[in-house]
Amino acid sequence: MRVVWHLMGSMLGDWPSCDPHNFSKLRRADPSIPSRMMPATYHRTHSRTLPPPDQVITTEAKNILLRHIYRSAEEENDLRPKRAATKHLIPEHGCKQPRATSY
Amino acid sequence: MFRRNNIASRIFQRQIYTPAPGTSVYCARRFYENLVPSCTIYDVECPDQSFRKFTDDGQYLISFSRNQQDLVVYRPTWLSFSCKEEDCDAHDLPPKAKRFESFFTHLYSVSLASCNGNELICKDFFLYVESNQYGIIATSTPSIHDAAANGAAIQGVPYVEKLTFHLIRLEDGVILDVKVFHNDFVNLTHNMGVFLYDDLLAIASLRNQTIHILQIRDSGNLVDVRAIGAFCREDDELFLNSNAQCIAFPDKSKLHQLPGNNVQNGTHLSQPNQEDSLLSGIKQRLLSFIFQGISNEEKDPALVQFLDRQHLLIKFGSVDGGVSRNADQHTAFLAVYNMETTEIVAFYQNSAEELYLLFERFCDHFHTASKNSVSMNFVSSHSNNIHALEQIRSVKSKASSQFMKKMLGSLPYSCQSLSPSPYFDQSLFRFDEKLISASDRPRQSTDHPIKFILRRQPCSLKFKIKLGPEAGNADGRTKKIASFLFHPFLPLALSIQQTLFLQQPSVVNIHFRG
Repeated sequence: MRVVWHLMGSMLGDWPSCDPHNFSKLRRADPSIPSRMMPATYHRTHSRTLPPPDQVITTEAKNILLRHIYRSAEEENDLRPKRAATKHLIPEHGCKQPRATSY
Repeated sequence: MFRRNNIASRIFQRQIYTPAPGTSVYCARRFYENLVPSCTIYDVECPDQSFRKFTDDGQYLISFSRNQQDLVVYRPTWLSFSCKEEDCDAHDLPPKAKRFESFFTHLYSVSLASCNGNELICKDFFLYVESNQYGIIATSTPSIHDAAANGAAIQGVPYVEKLTFHLIRLEDGVILDVKVFHNDFVNLTHNMGVFLYDDLLAIASLRNQTIHILQIRDSGNLVDVRAIGAFCREDDELFLNSNAQCIAFPDKSKLHQLPGNNVQNGTHLSQPNQEDSLLSGIKQRLLSFIFQGISNEEKDPALVQFLDRQHLLIKFGSVDGGVSRNADQHTAFLAVYNMETTEIVAFYQNSAEELYLLFERFCDHFHTASKNSVSMNFVSSHSNNIHALEQIRSVKSKASSQFMKKMLGSLPYSCQSLSPSPYFDQSLFRFDEKLISASDRPRQSTDHPIKFILRRQPCSLKFKIKLGPEAGNADGRTKKIASFLFHPFLPLALSIQQTLFLQQPSVVNIHFRG
């Protein structure tokens, strides 16, 4: 990070202080010349910590209890082995048939 | 924040110190250590009514007439009398101040149950919509037991001919809207079968296995949002009706003449049976979720609560288990249901350790309080209070599995069943939870005074709640139950003692800060 000093109208230079040498960096020796010191600003020298350009910070809609419940359910689904689908998903007739029940 | 116990010192300190971030309510509450209901007016003369509760904002005291036909609403006020003596502290209250009317102003009475019919107010049920100051009261005809099932109803569940929910503006007692259920049953004891979350009301119909979701509009209308049971999505019924190949309908009276396998014009019809030919939508969702063999036993939705505006926690149990909360004999299941996607997100047995751990860590999220209700967000629980957590952990260490099942038996929570009074804040006071607690359920009365002891040093006795001036009952066999109504923020409480099995009027005591 690098520090940059700027000149600007003084915010502190004209205030009274017990020692006239205080704020010497902000206040010039000749009070008739307006001081134009700005506070230091800091500029980044790398971009490693930049947020993604499309980042939007919002509040999570689900509360912490529901987040835990969903997370447990997802973990359980990941652990559960998936069954292979049966070959004949669609019956030959192409439509649903009544079950043979004896009511 | 406060270094001393003296109230004047605390007021001076409050002028100087700022509470730590997020603790302003807890810091302000500590003043309740100094302002306690230490005086009691025993057996105050008051109308013979069933006092139900203070509303959570402290604006109203809700009461029902003894004949359970009228709603009576009072405004809590405070004593106003002056003492002109030199040493007023030594003087007791004058007799004219020791009246019910000194503390409560009668606002109005509204007749809800018709005296011609046989409807009565369900005196164990009351819900408060704090944002609009609306109250929800139920009236019903007597319940009929051993009723045969018909239609979608299940056998074994009692029913009432007419159950009415009244939405009332408590400011003036105007009935804004009603919702009527016919030939149905909802367990209203201590608000069990109904849950209010913000402006959404969930009503669990035991008989018809349906969860009705209603919205309370600001205009005062009760609007049907959806009914989860036979159908999960709003357009399921339309889809099933329009699809000729589907079997659906509960109107089995029209199917009596048809044999079982008759196929007519591509429409599949079946004879009426004891059980539904097509599982209702919610049960189908549940069984498809658990069909890997955990249980194939059919369970019915019994109790429900909101976890947020989209998610419901539904208890599925046997018919008997749904009418009571007794967890010991009945196996039940708890499911988290997403109303928008109509999916069962998670499913637990009522003794599941995983669910118990969630309950122990995130109890406050089961106690879903409306965002409009500030006071209800600060009720002590084992998730936000170390003393409450230590207490349940010590009990759990002694009998783990039974304890877990018992704790999970309280799910889904009964809505608005806890008092937000600071005197039940376990960081401030220690008290015997067997004798008194934030829960509004009546409990067995005791002759001994109930002590509230300061939690912090010097751990002194701050006040006692005593139910009678005598040391004990002359007749020790008389069984009495006691209920306590604490005002949400004033140092004011009512204790009501009732004698079981005898038609005696209840004894009402007023506890207040003198």
